[in-house]
Amino acid sequence: MKKPANYIFPLALIFAGGLLPVFLGAYPQAVARSVFTFMALAISWDMLLRSGQISFGIAGFFGLGSYTAIILSVRAGVAPVVAMLSAAAFAALVAFLLGFLVLRLRSTYFSITTLALGEIFKVIIHNWSSFTGGPEGLVLPQVVFGGKSSSLYWLSYAILLFAVGASVLFEKSKMHFSLTAIRNNEIAARTSGINIFANLLIAFTASSLIQGLVGGVHVMSYGFAMPDTAFDANYTLLPLAMALLGGIHSTWGPIIGALLLGVISEYLKLMIPYGHLLVYGLIIILVILFMPRGIYGLIKKERSKRNG
Amino acid sequence: MKKFLTMFVLSAFLASTAFAQGAIKIGANWNLADITGNHGSKGAMLAVEEINKAGGVLGKQLQLVIVDDEGKGDKGVAAIEKLVTVDKVDFLIGGMSSAVALAQVPTMKKYQKVVVSTGAASYLVENALGADADWYFHLHPWDYTQGASYLEGWTAIRNKYPNIKIDRMFLAYEEGAFGKSSYDSSKKMFEKDFQFDGESFKSAALGGGDYTAMIEKAKEYKPDIFLWAGYDADALPMLEQAKAMRFSPPLFVGAPPGWPKDFGKSKLADNVTLYGMWAPSINDVNPVSKKFYDAFVAKYKEEPATYFGPLAYSAVYVLAEGIKRAGSLDSTAVIKALEQTKYLSALGETISFSPSNVIKHQGIRNQKILQWQNGRQEVIWPFEVQTRPPVYPFPAWK
Repeated sequence: MKKPANYIFPLALIFAGGLLPVFLGAYPQAVARSVFTFMALAISWDMLLRSGQISFGIAGFFGLGSYTAIILSVRAGVAPVVAMLSAAAFAALVAFLLGFLVLRLRSTYFSITTLALGEIFKVIIHNWSSFTGGPEGLVLPQVVFGGKSSSLYWLSYAILLFAVGASVLFEKSKMHFSLTAIRNNEIAARTSGINIFANLLIAFTASSLIQGLVGGVHVMSYGFAMPDTAFDANYTLLPLAMALLGGIHSTWGPIIGALLLGVISEYLKLMIPYGHLLVYGLIIILVILFMPRGIYGLIKKERSKRNG
Repeated sequence: MKKFLTMFVLSAFLASTAFAQGAIKIGANWNLADITGNHGSKGAMLAVEEINKAGGVLGKQLQLVIVDDEGKGDKGVAAIEKLVTVDKVDFLIGGMSSAVALAQVPTMKKYQKVVVSTGAASYLVENALGADADWYFHLHPWDYTQGASYLEGWTAIRNKYPNIKIDRMFLAYEEGAFGKSSYDSSKKMFEKDFQFDGESFKSAALGGGDYTAMIEKAKEYKPDIFLWAGYDADALPMLEQAKAMRFSPPLFVGAPPGWPKDFGKSKLADNVTLYGMWAPSINDVNPVSKKFYDAFVAKYKEEPATYFGPLAYSAVYVLAEGIKRAGSLDSTAVIKALEQTKYLSALGETISFSPSNVIKHQGIRNQKILQWQNGRQEVIWPFEVQTRPPVYPFPAWK
């Protein structure tokens, strides 16, 4: 059992994060919201990755959540909180049902299928103009909380804490051992009595639920959804890069990666307005080349060396 | 040495503080990695430099603070938050993408700074702003005013040159928001006077680039005028495929927001017609355009590749003249003064503001009809700024 002292640092961090709007202005809060969005997506991606399954469907479920929330809000006048929760529920339901088909696949076949799923969602929304607004999308009459910076910050912070909580739960529960066993050797895991399909289905549904929820919150905060923006490949690529940079198979890794890349990208943009993307890309390539285990992996390695 | 350095740092700090306190701050956002934002920001910097050299505005220097919006909604919102709350700008200019503008609208509404917008063609932005947004001055035409200007232009060309037959129109459009809204507004507009059909394609800019099915359909339709609404990445491959499929309609018209930098140097470009707000040939008929062009080339050693250069340049001048007329930085006074704008711009037309469907302050309404002739974009309509008559028909492929 962990000593109570071990909980002090994470709890202090959570408390400090919640207090930030008291000290920070609207601009850092806006940047933080963006960082939290990608952080939650990176964590959710990692939750499934712990089973060895690499999903490229983040943007698909994010977009699905975005559209669920905005359609409910615009077409049915549903309250923002209900719309956001419904976004999570619908993404989870779709993932659960599709899971029966796609979770039979492994490695590249699974990855490519999840990528294709996102494209299929996008094509349906794109072509169902009368309901989804088609390529031009839908616009909310008003964003949630009237666009108040601190409220929007706390909303995205709450969603991030939910994602962190789910990830920690995966790490601390029996799920962790099941997923690690599946990743290391599926046949051995099955022989040990682990229900492979059930565990994968839970991980796939839970990670999609978070992605849908983040999409729903994002659309209610920015007020519009278009297929090109809601299903933007960046919602898949950036969380991947963040998790790889921070370190995979952990909750801390994606948090560190998203924080670093989010802050670095904003800093570089202000320092090198014409050419920051080049430097940003170069940093990602170098870190992944020379730190394949990510920053958290490196920290863990150093710590275990020190402990003998 | 140490003393000298301390003195230097101290005097530099004092000078910058004094400058910042005395300056009129203009905040701007564009997607700087894109040619439209890159040249737009350069056009704005040029205008600020010229105005400051001429003594500034109300005895103060202008200070332009540019933030890259990266073409993303969340980054666009953060840009506005930074400009308003950290840089404490007095006014806002800039923009290109409608999606970024849509994300920014709630934040702009929150601060209600006077905005002179250079982008956002989608009518959805206007709907999101609402009729009360009297602080929003929109320079770029809306999609539907552009559509109306094309109708006006082609009707005028048909009337002036009886040999130009325009009855059947085919619009190829990229399948995203930009292309679809162009198709919808054009269909609505042209259907009354022309036979109209169309087909979508996946833009090369978004992972597509195969136009054969669309060209096949267009070929079967036998249009008098073939238009495409896509992105710069589509321009050359579409012509290559049209050539391969021997598709040469009498009028081959492209309507991307920007053209590839060296498109005019390609042999395929000759006699392709296009829509745009500006071309270097306007220098022949408009002294402001020539002044802008010469200064841009001298400063940046390159030619302005899109109309966003002169558009952003004009935005700064429109705002500066408005502040001068207002005699203060007070928003209400500047809004009133901007409503009186009559600015002969580098785009070859006088900018003034009047209501559009929703907002009160719409600037430019028309795009121009241009044509590549011998490597140069010539204006063929409006006739008052025409630089060459149209070449018709588009020659058959050899």
